[in-house]
This record gives sequence, structure tokens and C-alpha cells, in this order.
Amino acid sequence: MVHALEEIHRLLTSAGRLIDIHPVAQASPVEIHQGGITHLAGLLDVRQWCVDYQEADKALTEVVQRGLFAVEGKGLFDSLTYYGSVPEMRTSLHESLDKFARDAESAVVDLPQVEALMGPAQAMMDAAGSGAELRIRERIHIARLRPT
Amino acid sequence: MGIVVDPEGNEARALLDMAEFGGQHVLEVGCGDGRVTWGYADRAARVTAIEPSAKQIALARERLPVQLQDRLEFRAIAFEEFAATSPPSVFDIVLLSSSLC
Repeated sequence: MVHALEEIHRLLTSAGRLIDIHPVAQASPVEIHQGGITHLAGLLDVRQWCVDYQEADKALTEVVQRGLFAVEGKGLFDSLTYYGSVPEMRTSLHESLDKFARDAESAVVDLPQVEALMGPAQAMMDAAGSGAELRIRERIHIARLRPT
Repeated sequence: MGIVVDPEGNEARALLDMAEFGGQHVLEVGCGDGRVTWGYADRAARVTAIEPSAKQIALARERLPVQLQDRLEFRAIAFEEFAATSPPSVFDIVLLSSSLC
């Protein structure tokens, strides 16, 4: 990751900027939203993702400490992903986990934890009836850095 | 209904608040199917969006609006390979879309 940031430093003009966006390493709420009210169905433990996100944070910290980049601004926002059904969410999460297991040597695949979310989510969706929205809320970090 | 990511546009809003894309030459690393790209590309002078997955790049190209075709290039290539063949000091903005991980 540090090498990639060194390469980015090389590719940027002297007045250029690096914008980094990546999810925060924390659990993501699985929500049922209906009529302006949000109910928590469970928390998605994203240890599979977090390991890499924490490494990304470390790499950014390292290049800033080395004086390669300086942080100009940073912030947080929520990104919501909506699913048409619980089975659709299950399939999507399984695909994501499969991808991370292939891509990241550090991936810790926790399918039982994902599966444990499905029952409560389905029960809450059934109870909520039509118009209920199923979504996952992900906290995202954004930062702007300038090459020094 | 299918899967819908960030219909509220929170990501594009945060991105536009964080950087001035007007007239800039942008490299987006890990562009996926172009979902983030559409949020700023109309403001940039030129965008090179790269992604190692050929399947995702094919989706991005399918969705590329006609009015952006002259300034936006999608390439199916890993960052390491792209960087190794790129000259220095060519981009005003490099955007990492969850791609440092």
C-alpha cells in the first residue's frame, strides 16, 4: 500500500491532490426503514474488510509521517445500500466475502455471522409489510492530501 | 427493485465538497462500474478511470453517457501496471475509491 502511495505521489502534479475514500473499520448497521422510522435488524461485523481498511489507514499515516503527503481535509459520511429482499442481500454479501477472500490475504471469512443476520432481518421485513426498505449503512472516511 | 447504492448521493456530495474537479485531469483508481465516476466526471477536463476487473469495466463502458465519451476513458488494468507505464506529474487529482485496501 505504501508503494502504491509512492507511485501516486509520482503521478501527481506538484499542485495535485490525492482523494482517498474508504469505509471506516466499524460494524455496519443492517436497517429496516419504513415510514420515516428506522429499526436495527443487526450489525454486520466487517472484520473481513476492516483488516484491510486498517492497513490502508496505517499506510496513509506512514506516508504523511515521512513527509510525502500532508492531510488538508477529512470527513465522514454514510453510504446506504438498499436491497430488494433478504435473499438478495444474502447473495450480495456472500459475493463480497468471496471476493475479499480471493483478494485479501488477510481476509477472515465469517459466513455464519452473516447468516445469523438473515433470520432477524427476514422476520422484521415480514412484520413490517409492504413499503419497508432493507438497507446496510456504511460509514465512509474521505480525506484530501497534497503532495509535499 | 435490485441493489441500489447510495441513492441519496452522499458520496458524490462529499467528493465534490472535498475537491474542485473543474478543468482537472483525474485518475480514478478502482472505479468499478463507474458509479462514483458519474458524480464528478462532467466537471473534469479529462478522466482516466482504471479497474482490474474487465467485467466491471465493461459495465462502466456500457453506461458511459455520450456527452462524457470525449473526456472519460475506462481501462481494465491493475494500478501497478498502469503506474509502471505512466510518466510522472500527469494528474491533477488521483481518486482512490476504496482501492488502497
